[in-house]
Amino acid sequence: MRSLFSLCLFLLAAVVSAVSTSGNRLLVILDDVADKANYSKFLADLEGRGFQLSFETPKSESLTLFHLGERTYDHVIFFPIKTKGLGPNLTPNILVDFLNAKGNILLAISSGIATPNSLVSLLAELDIQLPADRTGLVVDHFNYDASSAPEKHDVLLLPPPGRLRPDIKDFFGAGAGSNEVLAFSRGVGAVLGTGELLTPILRAPRTAYSYNPKEQAEVVDDLFAAGEQLALVTAFQARNSARLTLLGSAEMLQDTWFDAEVTKPSATGGRKAKTFNREFAKRVSGWTFNEIGVLRVNWIEHRLDEPGNSASNETNPKIYRIKNNVKYTISLSEYAWTNWEPFTLPSDDDALQLEFSMLSPFHRLELTPETARSTPESTAYTVHFRLPDQHGIFNFKVNYKRPFLSNVEEKNTVSVRHMAHDEWPRSFAISGAWPWIAGIGVTVAGWLAFCAVWMYSAPPLTDKGETKKTQ
Amino acid sequence: MSADPLHALASAGKAKSTRSVLRVVILALIAGAAIASRLFSVIRFESIIHEFDPWFNFRATKYLVAHGFYKFWDWFDDRTWHPLGRVTGGTLYPGLMVTSGVIYHALRALTIPVDIRNICVLLAPGFSGLTAIAAYLLTNEMTTSNSAGLLAAAFMGIAPGYISRSVAGSYDNEAIAIFLLVFTFYLWIKALKQGSMLWGALCALFYGYMVASWGGYAFITCLLPLHAFVLICMGRYSTRLYVSYTTWYALGTLASMQIPFVGFLPVKTSEHMPALGIFGFLQLLAFLDYVRSAIPSRQFQTFLWVFAGGSFGLGLAALAIATSAGFIAPWSGRFYSLWDTGYAKIHIPIIASVSEHQPTAWPAFFFDLNMLIWLFPVGVYLCFQELADQHVFIVVYALFGSYFAGVMVRLMLTLTPVVCVAAAIAVSTLLDIYLTAKSPKPVEGQPADGGDGAAKKAVKSGLKSTSKPLIGVYGLYSKVAIVGALTVYLLLFVLHCTWVTSNAYSSPSVVLASRLPDGSQHIIDDYREAYQWLRQNTREDAKIMSWWDYGYQIGGMADRPTLVDNNTWNNTHIATVGKAMSSREEVSYPIMRQHEVDYVLVVFGGLLGYSGDDINKFLWMVRIAEGIWPDEVSERAFFTPRGEYRVDGDATETMKNSLMYKMSYYNYNKLFPPGQAMDRMRGVRLPEVGPSLSTIEEAFTSENWIIRIYKVKDLDNLGRDHASAAAFDRGHKKKKATKKRGPRLLRVD
Repeated sequence: MRSLFSLCLFLLAAVVSAVSTSGNRLLVILDDVADKANYSKFLADLEGRGFQLSFETPKSESLTLFHLGERTYDHVIFFPIKTKGLGPNLTPNILVDFLNAKGNILLAISSGIATPNSLVSLLAELDIQLPADRTGLVVDHFNYDASSAPEKHDVLLLPPPGRLRPDIKDFFGAGAGSNEVLAFSRGVGAVLGTGELLTPILRAPRTAYSYNPKEQAEVVDDLFAAGEQLALVTAFQARNSARLTLLGSAEMLQDTWFDAEVTKPSATGGRKAKTFNREFAKRVSGWTFNEIGVLRVNWIEHRLDEPGNSASNETNPKIYRIKNNVKYTISLSEYAWTNWEPFTLPSDDDALQLEFSMLSPFHRLELTPETARSTPESTAYTVHFRLPDQHGIFNFKVNYKRPFLSNVEEKNTVSVRHMAHDEWPRSFAISGAWPWIAGIGVTVAGWLAFCAVWMYSAPPLTDKGETKKTQ
Repeated sequence: MSADPLHALASAGKAKSTRSVLRVVILALIAGAAIASRLFSVIRFESIIHEFDPWFNFRATKYLVAHGFYKFWDWFDDRTWHPLGRVTGGTLYPGLMVTSGVIYHALRALTIPVDIRNICVLLAPGFSGLTAIAAYLLTNEMTTSNSAGLLAAAFMGIAPGYISRSVAGSYDNEAIAIFLLVFTFYLWIKALKQGSMLWGALCALFYGYMVASWGGYAFITCLLPLHAFVLICMGRYSTRLYVSYTTWYALGTLASMQIPFVGFLPVKTSEHMPALGIFGFLQLLAFLDYVRSAIPSRQFQTFLWVFAGGSFGLGLAALAIATSAGFIAPWSGRFYSLWDTGYAKIHIPIIASVSEHQPTAWPAFFFDLNMLIWLFPVGVYLCFQELADQHVFIVVYALFGSYFAGVMVRLMLTLTPVVCVAAAIAVSTLLDIYLTAKSPKPVEGQPADGGDGAAKKAVKSGLKSTSKPLIGVYGLYSKVAIVGALTVYLLLFVLHCTWVTSNAYSSPSVVLASRLPDGSQHIIDDYREAYQWLRQNTREDAKIMSWWDYGYQIGGMADRPTLVDNNTWNNTHIATVGKAMSSREEVSYPIMRQHEVDYVLVVFGGLLGYSGDDINKFLWMVRIAEGIWPDEVSERAFFTPRGEYRVDGDATETMKNSLMYKMSYYNYNKLFPPGQAMDRMRGVRLPEVGPSLSTIEEAFTSENWIIRIYKVKDLDNLGRDHASAAAFDRGHKKKKATKKRGPRLLRVD
């Protein structure tokens, strides 16, 4: 009975954990647990995707992200919190530790509510700047919702984001209908540093700017940021692929803006449009909680690729010889919501590269898909090449880091040895050595001949000897 | 027959067979004494490999025993010189390892299970016994006196100059090389004396063994031609010389070229050219000799000699041209430093940084050779008295060896054999003269007083030249005085040798010994403690960066890959480590990342007052790094404006920011009350605030703080630089970036 129960539990766990690649324990931190009613659709979506939601307030005593050094939650959502401090359980250091332990954070802030110090410090460590005094409002006098914010212009209507660069996969805006817009309501824009770990998911339109509605109600003299420098939704992916998303407008996730009707300003036609918020929220949370854009290295294999060498069957040997022919294969899968799919490069401009390096790369080669070893779940990328004429300790290195895709950094160390004494061609096989071999032969033959002549040429017989003989 | 036992003993000693038995017994005892006096270290400490290089030899031997000879020959060692690796099989002298491997397998075959470590530890003492016997043989070739050989054997057995490199545990190439050196010389003299091809071939064989064992084989390669050349110049060319030299050269060169590390060097480098030149010169002489014997004509002879001289000069010129054109490698740096002791310090700091490459201080001669050093000239003088071919050899060797011993401390080793031989000749001659019990029969019934008799004789014959004066010391008192003095000297010599061996040369230097106030011995075992920590707490392929002195020990004791080690073949790589140690953290960190360093190990003697620590060696690191990167590392910056090398509060900024300084003194002031931190080695008070580290973190510090190990941090997970990440961890908040000066940095995606 008990085993049956545990089996059921195991099966249940298997089904549930099939959702995110990194666990399903999700902590939702709200100012007041009752606030969750505002986000019921969004939270129901998450639950529907298999997450186990726990709700806590920052004041709660039982709130702890770590227990005995292990994470107690896999993911955390912060909704806007009014208090200035978050208490001893959510200090920036603990949040950084949470990221370092591969926990993911979705951070939703709002213009009306000042962001807590702890979160501002955390964002500062990630090189994300919020407006001074932790308040700010993004407005756009050209792209606003005419029905809900005809005066304030603080509900921005934005087209779903496209590809940031041609070689990046479009995770967030793909498949949006032409009449669907994102409603970004009373949100805060952030300014991003130049680090490569940060990527804006959604940038403000060129005509938007951020100002402080309390102090700059009359004149906006000192602009925090404007235009595309304002990141409305920001993705941060740490080196260990832990993810943090900063959502500038928490209201985006509220039920009111899911499937709401909005009106474009009259200058741009004044047409009605549907919001894309629900799908966008699903994708942003899905990305943050490792449901999409997760790469997995299934296996790596390198082996000798010498023609007619039966000893080359060993997989992943520790040592090669210089100038060996070698084949390297890496199998990659990408997780898409519910299942692993074969990983394909986002575009033709991109390339998956193998470096064969010691101190610096000796080879940098493009890996190509090998259909024979690919499966419905994975793609095998492979390359054949010849090892350099240099002995040493080398690394097969695949370093594939792209925005929105989890980092692939694989290093396999092998030694490349010199030629052994019996691996050189024999002297008689080298035509250039023939004169010398002939020289040795001639010397030996000459020496033997000389000895023979010397030994058999007796000194001329003297008269005495001759007479003796005749006698 | 006789009731007097003394008389019986004396008469027994007269029989020839008894004498040889006695001699064998004495030699065996000498060999035993030689071995026994080298066991101090094993008794005091334990059966352990000493110092630095022996650890590599030990590791290589283990590899040889485990994998067999061919694997050893083709050994590519990927655990040293990371990430370059070392073609070890082709860059070492395999003689030592093969010797112990053979002994190991022989003992196994005799079903004597012996740990390979014990063979390695006891190999040097064992071979020192053989060296004593070889010295006996060599000396016997020099003199007819029987006692000289035995004395030479005894001297050789216990002379500290040789013991310094052959105590138990000192498993270095020199352990067997000195035996081979002496024995090769013996065979050479034998071959030369007899003009024998057989002995010449044997000489070549042992020369080949010597080449396989020690880089110092060049000493033989240069000394034998020099001897031959001196003989020729003295007009002593003979067919004996021709046969022995050509046999040795042809076979010996072939043998030496079989060693992978030597390869084609004997025909390519300048060090080997004298041997080749003399070989050619001898051919020429032999030819001329033959022509002269065929055509006896005085004028023709002079012409021939001129011709010979001319061709010798031409040969020299050809050598010079070939060298400048690059066919023959010019003299290597180590060789230059033999001629100009200041050369290395200017041009090759890495050679100068080795303490055993320093010029010898004069007390070292007395310390290592004691009374032999003043008997040595006497012996050389006595060789001049007879001056046969073999005595010329001793004279040449003495000159050559003395010079080199004066230039480099370690070459004392090659001088020691000839000192022993010459001193033995001197002592035995003295003893032979003064120990003769018999007085010559006074001529014509005159009193034994020599001077008186001679005077009377002169008067008698009237012609001084016809008289035969009897000169000698026959007075009992003078005999007793001299012999007694010599005996005392010999006893003192034994005392000195034992004292030096036990006090100076028997420390393993892996383990430090000190005395507690109550006189008992206290062992400071920090090195092994740290290496054991590395072995047990780090990944098997964790790369350790340390100064090269400790490379072999880390490889041997901790079994972890190292960046540089005592095989200093790659100056640039060593300079890289020197640069990492002497630069700021921000400069060092990328270097360490690039070389995949996991741990950094430093030796710090400040707490204990241990002088061999890295801060004392630091200037060498700086100099070596400066040799490669003169723009980035500057020795001057480590000295205060007044030219002092300081580590206290007045140290220069460069010094205080260098990684080595930070690693040495990190957290050190926490041991002391505030402001009281003392560096006991340099005897200075340290600044109140110690250095802080951000790119590395302390991983281990040994009991007496001699070894400190730091772990290199990974890149920051959140993409910050280490300094700000460390500041954040300490609780400092990032400053508001809004007050940034200058134009805003725009992000471009």
